[in-house]
Amino acid sequence: MAVLTIARRELASLFRLPVGWIAVALYLFLAGIVFAYLILVPGQPASLRPLFSISAWLLLPVAPAISMRLVSEELRSGTIEPLMTAPVSDGGVVLGKYLGVVGFLLIMLVPTLAHTAALWWLSDPRPDPGPIAAGYLSLVLVGMVYTAVGLWMSCLTANQTLAFLGTLFFLLVVLLATTIGFEYAPAWLQPVVAELSIQSRMQEFAKGVIDTSHIVYFLSAAALFVVLSVLTLESRRWR
Amino acid sequence: MLDLQRVSKSYGRFRAVTSATFRLEPGEIAGLLGPNGAGKTTTIRMITGFLPPDQGSITVAGNDTVLDSLAARRLIGYLPESAPLYPEMTPASYLSFRARLYKLPAADRRPAVNRALDSCWLGDVANKRIGQLSKGYRQRVGLAAAILHDPRVLILDEPTNALDPTQVRETRRLIADLARDRVVLLSSHILAEVELVCSRVIVMVRGKIRADGPPARLIASAATTCRAEWVSPPDAADAIIAELRSLPGVRDVSSTQGQGGHTAATIESAAGAGAADLLDAIGRVLHARGARVTLLTRRDASLERLFVELVEQAADDREAA
Repeated sequence: MAVLTIARRELASLFRLPVGWIAVALYLFLAGIVFAYLILVPGQPASLRPLFSISAWLLLPVAPAISMRLVSEELRSGTIEPLMTAPVSDGGVVLGKYLGVVGFLLIMLVPTLAHTAALWWLSDPRPDPGPIAAGYLSLVLVGMVYTAVGLWMSCLTANQTLAFLGTLFFLLVVLLATTIGFEYAPAWLQPVVAELSIQSRMQEFAKGVIDTSHIVYFLSAAALFVVLSVLTLESRRWR
Repeated sequence: MLDLQRVSKSYGRFRAVTSATFRLEPGEIAGLLGPNGAGKTTTIRMITGFLPPDQGSITVAGNDTVLDSLAARRLIGYLPESAPLYPEMTPASYLSFRARLYKLPAADRRPAVNRALDSCWLGDVANKRIGQLSKGYRQRVGLAAAILHDPRVLILDEPTNALDPTQVRETRRLIADLARDRVVLLSSHILAEVELVCSRVIVMVRGKIRADGPPARLIASAATTCRAEWVSPPDAADAIIAELRSLPGVRDVSSTQGQGGHTAATIESAAGAGAADLLDAIGRVLHARGARVTLLTRRDASLERLFVELVEQAADDREAA
């Protein structure tokens, strides 16, 4: 109940602040370019696959932008005090904020359904709905991981810019380490790196393969960072 | 109702609060006084459950603020210092958010929000963005949020901060109204305000409680200063001053001698000495020595004087240690 109250406030705030709208605009702009230049190509089979397989990169600047203020801003302005003295557990505060930002992410993806509709309308034969549904699922999952990392960074600092850069840097390192880094990794490390790869899992989804192990991977990564956020916030009380 | 038992808190090696103990019952309005950095805000943050104490315990109606934190927090209404709020929300939406956080039943939410808006004179700005409101209005939104869920214990950190004189008066009246059946603890650096509003004053200096009691009693225990001016033969002045110094209860005498045998002296009594008797005694000394008195007056003890004394005393104790 209190979790949903916090989630609702967070979601509403993102829509009342310029940062939310700018993040939506940025994402739709990037997705629009991909759609216009890589998907809407005459003579090519109708599929949104390029959009989904590149989305791990498209969301890279967007997710930190919507998650950076979650806790940082409360720490900076002092609103964390009335919030953490209300009868809500620290876990409830963090979970509420997380659900709020994930809700925002879902709403942000809605306008991209226009791409699907346009492709459906224009192409013959019609695109296969399976890979499209799987692709959207992968977008939500990867967004959940990114925003969970952003939430954690936001618990670590009262400075939004720092939270943004920290998240961006962290995700960039993970993405690069598991793509380019893979080739340079020693043979014994390669299976581990491959296991951690977000990109390769996104490719699978884009092909239309929904593998439970991938879903478990994304959800547990997200859960890990949410738990880290709770611990970080709790530890602030004891400092 | 609100019970602190030997509560201590340190930040690293800095001891912010040392062994604070007091108990407040419904109907009491207690003022927490102290210079900056005395540990007032830390004490308040421990009571509201924002910070856990290192040692000691705090209970609100029997609920420990650490072990039974959520139950204790539900009973407290809290206005933090400088009333932090979400600038993108409106007072009405913020209060409705708080009402949900405190789990007010759906049917009671709107009446509670309207009541809080009315009590804090926010009706005309209820739907404006908080970011556009003046500091005084924001302070009142914070106050409205604190009283919204009808808490048993009200903790107000500088409640009249940024308010104009009319609003200050109305806020004092509101606090007095609210205190009838609940505990109010407010911190302030405006001594006159504390003297006016509070039935009890707790003075903190350097993390320790230095005085605790009704304002009138504390003031009675503070030092009194008398001022005397007289004309006497020049050689008599020193003897008069020496005799004044030896009067019972006198702590210090400072004097300046002018031309024509004019002398002005400030006589400070130790805390607790009878103020009226002192004035009398000074008069007798001057009369006996044949001085012509031109001024003899008493500056009564005040909370301000007590406050300054306690702060100085704490500094002396520290030097001695």
